Amino acid sequence: MTTIQEQGARTLSRTPGRGRVIDAYAGFGLMVQFIVRRNWLRMLIWTIALAGMIAIVVESQRIAFPTQADRDAYAAIANTPSVAALTGLPYAASTLGGILNIKLWMTEAVALAFAVIFLVTRNGRAEEEAGRTELLRGGVLGQHAYSLANWVVAAGFSVLIGLSSALVAIGQGLPALGTLVMGASFTGVGLVFIGVAAVTGQLAQTSRGANALASVILAAAYLTRAAADLQADEDNPSILSWASPIGWGQQMRSYGESLWWPFGVSVAAAVLLCALALLLERRRDVGEGILPDRRGPRHASALTRTPVGLTLRLQRGSIIGWSLGVLVGALFFGTVATAMADLLSGDNPIAQGFIGGSKDVLDGLLGFFAMANVLLISAFALQSTDTIRAEESSGRAELQWSRAISRVRWALSRMAVPAVISFVLLAFSGYAIGASFGASIGDPGQGGRFAAASLAYWPSVLLVIAFVVFCAAWLPRVASALTWGIFGSMVVLSMFGDMFGLPDWVVDNTPFTAVPRLGEEFSAVPLIVIGGLAVVLVVLGLQRLRTRDMTAA
Amino acid sequence: MTQSLAVDVHGLTKNFASTRALDGLDLRVATGSVAGFLGPNGSGKSTTIRILLGLLRADGGTATMLGGDPWRDAVDLHRRVAYVAGDVTLWPNLTGGQAIDILGALRGDVDRGRIDRFLQLFDLDPTKKARSYSKGNRQKVGLVAAFASRAELLILDEPTNGLDPLMEGVFTDCVSEAKAEGRSVLLSSHIFAEVEKLCDTVTIIRDGRTVESGTLTELRHLQRSTMTVTIDGDSAVLSAVPGVQELTADGQRVSFSVDEGALPDVMRALAPLGPRGLISTPPSLEELFLRHYGLHAEAAEAATRP
Repeated sequence: MTTIQEQGARTLSRTPGRGRVIDAYAGFGLMVQFIVRRNWLRMLIWTIALAGMIAIVVESQRIAFPTQADRDAYAAIANTPSVAALTGLPYAASTLGGILNIKLWMTEAVALAFAVIFLVTRNGRAEEEAGRTELLRGGVLGQHAYSLANWVVAAGFSVLIGLSSALVAIGQGLPALGTLVMGASFTGVGLVFIGVAAVTGQLAQTSRGANALASVILAAAYLTRAAADLQADEDNPSILSWASPIGWGQQMRSYGESLWWPFGVSVAAAVLLCALALLLERRRDVGEGILPDRRGPRHASALTRTPVGLTLRLQRGSIIGWSLGVLVGALFFGTVATAMADLLSGDNPIAQGFIGGSKDVLDGLLGFFAMANVLLISAFALQSTDTIRAEESSGRAELQWSRAISRVRWALSRMAVPAVISFVLLAFSGYAIGASFGASIGDPGQGGRFAAASLAYWPSVLLVIAFVVFCAAWLPRVASALTWGIFGSMVVLSMFGDMFGLPDWVVDNTPFTAVPRLGEEFSAVPLIVIGGLAVVLVVLGLQRLRTRDMTAA
Repeated sequence: MTQSLAVDVHGLTKNFASTRALDGLDLRVATGSVAGFLGPNGSGKSTTIRILLGLLRADGGTATMLGGDPWRDAVDLHRRVAYVAGDVTLWPNLTGGQAIDILGALRGDVDRGRIDRFLQLFDLDPTKKARSYSKGNRQKVGLVAAFASRAELLILDEPTNGLDPLMEGVFTDCVSEAKAEGRSVLLSSHIFAEVEKLCDTVTIIRDGRTVESGTLTELRHLQRSTMTVTIDGDSAVLSAVPGVQELTADGQRVSFSVDEGALPDVMRALAPLGPRGLISTPPSLEELFLRHYGLHAEAAEAATRP
């Protein structure tokens, strides 16, 4: 009879001295199954969304540019600096595939990069942070088995995205070679950023840190290639393009020369990065990162100690992000307006939807852009004000309300920030649309006119803020879902209401469409009505917030 | 009388939808004293505290805190009150030090010297982001902010949740110090040893109602003590004394429980039996507490069964 101890000793004696290399990967297959099981739905949704976008864009571009003559005309004007900077240097722009690349390639590539970064971190560093990796590693699981399984699953996901994109494009009648190269170019970008996230997952100690670090590298890759595409010689970007993993994907030039070898560069980089990550993993303890945990200040600054200052400090990142996004969007809107107006003929049904009641296509388009910009700023205001509810449901409101600050003052400090910032953003982004549009038509005086037209929407943004406060006070448990839902339908109604054939009195009377558009005759009445509504909602909301019980989640 | 009470709650009621959270609760905290507040989960401790903090509004009864109305005078009262929740939630992207400063500023006093002293006592690193704090460290942030303040009344809702025994000791010292400074403390707790050591008075609640309150000595008077003694002769004599119960004998060694009032008779009966090694154990707080809950009654029954 053998005891358990004797059996155990025998197992050990089979692996004397240093552990076998293969042991570091014990349990790999099981972990692959485990990770797929926990993430299949997430990956499926990404796949449907990314491949589906290709079908939609190809179809819409086929309608927008039905004949070869249309496409040739487009190719002649496609190469503007803002297109090169934002979506990449156009080439083969007179083919449907080339147009697809201009419209969608960058979006797909960056979206996939984000998808794999989040996926790798979610299954890697986040699991380790939560202590679940420790649980698994306590069992028969090799040191590297889990990480390797994580990256292999993410790589499989990247291949799936590439293949499904190619198949959808083939289904839309695009040339087979071009579509395969396009699919591979997506996969290549995905693979490199798996490597990047694998390394940042070793470096940072928190999942937030790992995601942030990888996102910074993605942003650097994006900006590097933007610089390269701007310094292009004809349709060849500068050599700098090779310094960016996104550039490698672009250099495969699907639907153009269709080169395969840059894909090899991406694969090699991915393998090298993962090998580096394995090396790092061998050197560190479970739960620890290579980079030290970042310290913060020991004391709160005088500003942070005030309620408004605290709101600003807590939303600092969000405010900077939204501001950059809004300003870049505004410059983009302004730059492409004339080119788009030239392309859209007045009898095109999509164009009519855009321009609303305006007689002139360019005026209508500019008014549409100005409103889109306002909606973006309103989304920021909504998100910022929504923290009133978030603080309460998380329990942090209890912390503050049990101090010497009234709920009304507290809520006002949370509303002041989005109200003031949205005013500033409206002025600056409006000016940016006007200035960049003015630059494209050689009229520098457009900025002020656009800034004023944007500021006319300030009462509408205040109404959004007031509505959020009202819902947070009266319907705390459903406030977030309710406000975002209603705002979302307001966006669709304001921008595309005409296309749905809704009655005019509905389409023209949303808080955004009721405001006189750029180029229309100005009337202060709608602004006063909207502003008055906002005041009423705020008063009712604050009154309720003051007199109701605190309502945690 | 109200002047000498930091907290005076009488007949408090509160309903949440169809459930009755508080059902005529009474609670008093004398100025300058430490009051224990005991009750199982869901008995209404946190609800009472939230009403005192003006976060919830009472449906009935009266509540007075530091001479003011907790709901109407919330903002003014909060300048004089410090509160630590049982689960301190912080802003994940601010450091503990920042959170302490902000909480102090929201009350209106930030005393760097005191903050540093309590940071040291609780051995807390204020430069770490709240995100990376453990449960115990988040609790410490709340405790440092509260003890460093000059608040007259400390309201502590299961504050040692997640603290290690060493830090519980520090906490005990800090409460004693607060009392020595003349501050009043309302301490809701699960930990009997903590309450027994710190509290001048104890209020035990059940299902939103006060079932027992007073000083520990007072409460003990209501309870039977356990006595163990070695005697010569027959222990049967003792069983005849009124007020003696649960008599068991193991050779010469007998033990029994006895009412406070029956002690003189018991002593008279014991004297001729040559008592040696007499031990009298007053009821522990735990026994006092458990007496009010069915669980103990069942357990006691099971223990006496052969």
